[in-house]
Amino acid sequence: MLAEFVQHIVNGLIVGGGYALMGIGLTLIFGIMRVVNFAHGEFFMMGAFFLFTLFSLWGVNFFLASLLSIIGVGLVGAVVERLILRRLRLAPIEIPMLATVALSVIIQNAAILLWDPSPKTIKHVFSPVPLTLGPINVVSIRLFAGLVAVALIVGSHLLIQRTRIGRAMRATFQDTDMARLTGVDVDRVYMFTFAFGAALAGASGALLGAVFWVYPAMGDLAALKSFAVVIMGGLGNFLGAIVGGLLLGVSESLGAGYISSGYKDAIGFILIILLLLWRPQGLFGKKALPR
Amino acid sequence: MKLWAAAVAVALLALPLIGVDDYYLHLLIMAGLFYLLTAGMNLLLAAGQLNLGHTAFFGIGAYTSGLLGVHFGLSPLWTMPVAAAFTGFVGYLLGRLTLRLRGAYFVLVTVGFAEVIRLVATNWMDLTQGPMGLAGVPPFNLGIERWTLVSKRDYYYLMAVLVAGTLFLTARLLGSRVGRALAAIQSNESLAESSGISAYAHTMLAMVVSCVLAGVAGAFYAHYITFLSPELFGFQNTVTMAVMVVAGGQGMVLGPAVGSLVFTFVPELLRMAAFYRMLLYGVILLLVVMFMPKGLVFYLRALLRGRAPSPAAVQAVDAALETGGAAPPGEAPALALCGVTVRFGGLAAVEDLSLDLARGEILALIGPNGAGKSTAFNVVTGFQPADAGRVDFDGADITGLAPYRIAERGLVRMFQRTSVFPEAAALDNVLTACHRLARTRRWEVVVMTAAAREEEARHRRRAQSLLNFVGLGRKAGEAAKNLSCGEQRLLGLAIALAPDPSVLLLDEPAAGLNAVETEQLMHLIEVIRSRGLSVLLVEHDMKLVMGLCDRVVVLNYGVKIAEGTPTEIQQHPEVIRAYLGSGEILADA
Repeated sequence: MLAEFVQHIVNGLIVGGGYALMGIGLTLIFGIMRVVNFAHGEFFMMGAFFLFTLFSLWGVNFFLASLLSIIGVGLVGAVVERLILRRLRLAPIEIPMLATVALSVIIQNAAILLWDPSPKTIKHVFSPVPLTLGPINVVSIRLFAGLVAVALIVGSHLLIQRTRIGRAMRATFQDTDMARLTGVDVDRVYMFTFAFGAALAGASGALLGAVFWVYPAMGDLAALKSFAVVIMGGLGNFLGAIVGGLLLGVSESLGAGYISSGYKDAIGFILIILLLLWRPQGLFGKKALPR
Repeated sequence: MKLWAAAVAVALLALPLIGVDDYYLHLLIMAGLFYLLTAGMNLLLAAGQLNLGHTAFFGIGAYTSGLLGVHFGLSPLWTMPVAAAFTGFVGYLLGRLTLRLRGAYFVLVTVGFAEVIRLVATNWMDLTQGPMGLAGVPPFNLGIERWTLVSKRDYYYLMAVLVAGTLFLTARLLGSRVGRALAAIQSNESLAESSGISAYAHTMLAMVVSCVLAGVAGAFYAHYITFLSPELFGFQNTVTMAVMVVAGGQGMVLGPAVGSLVFTFVPELLRMAAFYRMLLYGVILLLVVMFMPKGLVFYLRALLRGRAPSPAAVQAVDAALETGGAAPPGEAPALALCGVTVRFGGLAAVEDLSLDLARGEILALIGPNGAGKSTAFNVVTGFQPADAGRVDFDGADITGLAPYRIAERGLVRMFQRTSVFPEAAALDNVLTACHRLARTRRWEVVVMTAAAREEEARHRRRAQSLLNFVGLGRKAGEAAKNLSCGEQRLLGLAIALAPDPSVLLLDEPAAGLNAVETEQLMHLIEVIRSRGLSVLLVEHDMKLVMGLCDRVVVLNYGVKIAEGTPTEIQQHPEVIRAYLGSGEILADA
């Protein structure tokens, strides 16, 4: 019984790591740019498809292919920011939001044309035999995915806290005008933020794509999940996204194991509704002060 | 314009009679269906809330009416209202939970809500038959089976009735004080609340109306298509609706109608593109959002009548300050603070503050920056809860009431910086703030009873006369954001006077005014007081304070350090020390 419970927790944490990566990307983009990125699921999907193309179709080394996929998604993000979102910066919040919705329609349908809609698997380099640690079994690709997710989360934290661009991002987050006045190149910060957020979603897609399936609509559900994650954690909150992601992964895993697998994907939103009753600003969000 | 609209309506009604193909009738019916959905979405969006889970309500309406038809054999004529009421009720419940959320939070939570409902519809096999879908929903009939609607033409006319009703309802709501209140909430929620408009009550009204419309649309769909599946709850549907609203023109009555029509036909035209259809659809969406963010109706109008909308004609109305506000000569002071304390963390912003504002008095609250003046104002007007103490207005405890409740009682504030609704015309700014004076009920507004029309005209006159009073009579048609800084302050004053307050709180009314404008303002405040209003003001302009006020209360670090007549205050040693001992007060006055 206990072993099964722990197994659910471990599985949940690994998937939750992927959710957290998605969530961090989304929350950074919202926190700094005030854009709700409805194309986030498509960046996730692109990460998986880039890996599939580079590794499964072209035979590039798995690890190099993963790295290139993540960078590739980041570049797409940079282009999107430069060509679309930068022009909409002064528009009311629903305009860039709908632009990303349109973008997600475009990217998803382009993927259908490029790779056809049938689900694919990535035949990665890891052994299919699970590693056994006491009562728990973990397939090594999952362990790899979990470890990479942890590394990327820690890396993102260091990037934001320790680097020059990270400092510029934090300044822009707090007060865009003030940041601009003190010499921060806000355009560059926006572009970097969007690219970075997209790359994190791409990384999540590459990792979870290698574990599960790869198909053009895979981003839809992933996007919904990452919305759940950032609402739980508080929009624009880094730590909140991590905790929210892990919480969602674990509760889904437990919910699927003990309650009903049909409702697994609803658990995040049911959690949110319960959370809203208690703390409408999210777990870590600050209460808005009156003007 | 009216002629034009009538011509379009007649043409649309004649379409089935001149033998238009069923395929096009079907598309028009679907456009009408989307109009019912987007009209509601537009209503809520007028208050700045985008419901990206709207399709959930469509689906709930469809399943409610469909299941009642399948299991109990009830006529759709009866199940449609039941479905509408039930959907409205679900909308009310969701609103209870989510309407305190704003902006992106609200959007994301509604997306999540629709997803949960979709999963329930998929998994609750016993009720909905899950992904296989619910087949055998009876077609629409008018009460008895013999009067069953069969042809596309029948459904077309049923839809025409529903569309006409929705058009009428939303036009009346958006064109009345309800619409002004919704726009005010979107534009400046704090100011709306402090003018006596409950943001919660109005967004809830918009939410429930929009859900009822979605319920009607759902019921129609159920009996028109006669088959339901959980696909109805898909996010894609809501996206289509949102695109229709924004591309058509949000906030405008005809926006959703035009958007629904265009974006029902565009995907059909794109069928030629075969494989590339959805890709092209996405590209069109992106281009519309990027290059026509205000919507087709907005650009069409601009094309038809030149760029700028014609400014409203200035009405010939006297510059009278009509008040019923002269409070009866009473026992209790107009406003009394007793032991009010506010702490932010360990820091006391206001500490044990007590003061009385007598009836017909002008009292100034002064002190260096950060002394707690604005915090005290926020407590009095309900924007900031107090950690201790109480506030009495006209002898009644108002501590902890919501801002709009306080405004409803006749205590109104003018804000320091954000004192106007920037997008609206000056006249509409003041008209919006007349909200609390409205006595007619909302249904009277919708059906335009004589009383409602008379009231609207009266408020319009009142708004114009207040604009004249502050000297902005000629700028009535100008958008508030185009007024100069000084004019915006004066407009702010007119807005604060509009609800006919008995006590007026002015937060740095002279900030940003030049000497002439300040003189003018002082004169206005004098007149306001002469009509029996009491005025509490925060101000840094010592000339104004010393020249106008009966008494002065001085705050420093949240503590009252002095209170007295201007002359007494100018000689008060502690006050002089608080102001760096410079004696500037003396020099200025």
